[in-house]
This record gives sequence, C-alpha cells and structure tokens, in this order.
Amino acid sequence: MVQQLNMNNMEFKNKKINKKQIAQAILCIAVGTAAGLIVYGIFLFFHIDIFGWNLGLIFAPLAAGYVETILANKIIGENIGAISAFILFIDTTFYSFILKNPTLGWNIITAGSIIVILQAAFPTVINYILLVVIGGFLSNFFKTIKKYEMKIHHKIRNQQFFRWKTEDPKPENDDIKTESLPVYDELETNRLLNNSPFYFITSPDMKDKQYTIIKLFHSEVIVEKNKKIIQAEPEKAEYLQLIRIKDGKDECLFKLLNKIKNEGGNGILDLSINYSLIGFSGDNIQITAMGIGVLIED
Amino acid sequence: MILTSSNTLENKKIIDYKGLVTGESLIGANIYKDLFSGVRDVVGGRTSKYEEEIQKARDISLQSMIEKAEQLDANAIIGLKISYDNLGGTMGNTILVTAYGTAIKYE
Repeated sequence: MVQQLNMNNMEFKNKKINKKQIAQAILCIAVGTAAGLIVYGIFLFFHIDIFGWNLGLIFAPLAAGYVETILANKIIGENIGAISAFILFIDTTFYSFILKNPTLGWNIITAGSIIVILQAAFPTVINYILLVVIGGFLSNFFKTIKKYEMKIHHKIRNQQFFRWKTEDPKPENDDIKTESLPVYDELETNRLLNNSPFYFITSPDMKDKQYTIIKLFHSEVIVEKNKKIIQAEPEKAEYLQLIRIKDGKDECLFKLLNKIKNEGGNGILDLSINYSLIGFSGDNIQITAMGIGVLIED
Repeated sequence: MILTSSNTLENKKIIDYKGLVTGESLIGANIYKDLFSGVRDVVGGRTSKYEEEIQKARDISLQSMIEKAEQLDANAIIGLKISYDNLGGTMGNTILVTAYGTAIKYE
C-alpha cells in the first residue's frame, strides 16, 4: 500500500516536471520565433534583398533557430530541435509568397528561392537531394549521352577508314571468348594506311630522294581509358583497351596524312608517335603523331 | 628481316620505301599478377615475372610489325623505335609497348 502510494507520488512528480518542461520549451520556441520575426522585420524595413528576393527569408529562420537553441540549452539543458526555425519558414513563406505577392510567377528566381528557403529549414534533407539525388541523376544522364555519342563516333569512324569484313579473323589471344568482342584486323589496316601514295618515314632523311620541306605537322587523338580498378575479365579488358589504342593510333595517322596532303605534301619525315596519360587522374590516353611534312619528288 | 634503329642500311641500297609498320601490345591489367609482382618488390627480389611479361609484350609488338612489313613485301625495317609507356592500371603496372619503323626493300 505504501509502495503504491510512493509510485503514484512519483508519477505525479514526473507529470509536473513534464508540464514544466513543455512550458519551458514553448517559451523557448516563442522567444526564438519572436527573434526570427524581428530579424525578418529588419530585413524588410531596410530592403535587404537581391533581385527583389529578401534575404530575411534565410536569416530569419536561422536567427530563430539560433536563439531558441541557446535558450533551450540554458533553461532546459538540452536542444529541442529549432522548431521556431520551421515556424518562421512557414510564416515568412506565407507572408512573402502568398500574402504579399499572390501573383508571383513561376520562374527561375522563384524556384531558386524555394530551394534556398527549404535548404535553410531542412538542411540535411535538401543537401541530400541536391548533392546525392540530383547530382547522381545528372552524372548518370551525362554518362549515358557520352556512351551513345562514343558509339556513334566509332561507327562513323569505322565507316570512314576501315571497310573490311570483321567476322572471321580471331584476336591474338585465343583464351578470350570472341563473341560480342570487336575485331581489329591489323594487316588490313596497315595495308590501307600504306596504300595511298604517301610516304610515312620514321627516319629524319631519305637517301637518294629529293624533297622539299613544308613544315612541322602534328595530330592528336584522345582515347578513353578503362577506369575500372578491378576487372571481372582482365584479359577481355586488356584486349579492348589495346584495340582502342590501335584504333586511335590509326585515326591519328590518317589525320596527319590528310593535314599534309591538304598542304600539298606527299610524305612525312622523322615521324614519331607518342602515348601519354592526360586528364584529372590520367583517365584518358593521348596519342600524338608528329613529323616534318615534305613533298617528295619521285 | 633486318631490323635497325639507324636511318640507313650500311653498304646496302634502298630501292623502295614500303611504308610505316607498327606493333603494339599491352600488359599488366591483371590484378593478381600485379599484386604478386608487388610482393616480390617488397621482399627485395627481382620481379622476374614482370620482366618476362615485358619481353613477351615487346616480342609481340615486334612480331606484329614484322608481319606487316612482310605483307608489304619489305625485307628490312629502318628507323625502328620502341617505347614503353605506363598507362596506370591497378598498381601503375599497365604498360603499353609500341614498336614502329619504316619498311623498306633493299638490294
């Protein structure tokens, strides 16, 4: 019986404390909201705005939340969650967007304002949406565009330079399953490259030949590097990478040939081909071909 | 097939320039091989496996180049250049070995 009485007494005390705490919390929220409204009033009075958009919409909820948090920590001894900031957010939004300007149109400034206000009221959620969701969407969107652009680019380039059948030849490494892998016919490419009446000479001079020097020529091609650190099928990845490099080198040489032909030349001396990594973390391979364009007298 | 890095062939007459011949090969995209090679480096041993791989890659490049020269009916390659380029990879061990030169016909 005595125990029962003690229990009832404790519950009554707890209820009393809870009521007191709730009252203190309401006081903190009220003071925070008042502080926010004062700040908003100051911003409105002095017209502190950018393109007609008052900065008080950001600073008022911030001030409200700040005052409320400090007060709650002093009186209650804990943070109660900046409820006044949320109240201010609703207040200011209602006042500025609906009451004060009911004809507000939907444009980029309005959209930006809403995002900024929401960001001030719910920083974690809005930052997550902005950085992770929208950032991820944009990243994937551009990756997809790039993928299709590369496919079209390869198709056009193959039509331009390499017109041979690609079903029969096998790649160098027989261990690799050749289904769905592109095939690069090296001998045919080399034949096409040297088929035109043009001299590719790696030496700086041609013995027993008369020639006129035109100028220095160079061409570049950038090939995308495989970015995966760990490959599920390393041989396949290596094979594809090599094909991309060979393909890029051919394109680079054909570009050089066309440049020299356009300037009236028919050969190149001291030809050098270089491969180097470029990009933020070396994620692309730059192929450069350069040499002296010449007109050789046959 | 004569391979030379010089610009001419001594005591031989070049009768025709057949064109450019190239050969490329790539090694080191395999993480297991890379890791093994890394361990060997730490204990101070020579990475003989890698040396073998590089030699193999160079041979493939040269062989590819020779095949192309033969197809062009050449019997020598002058101005031969061989280069080894690091393309990053798992542990910076993806190496591109390239060889190129001018295929010629001599008497």
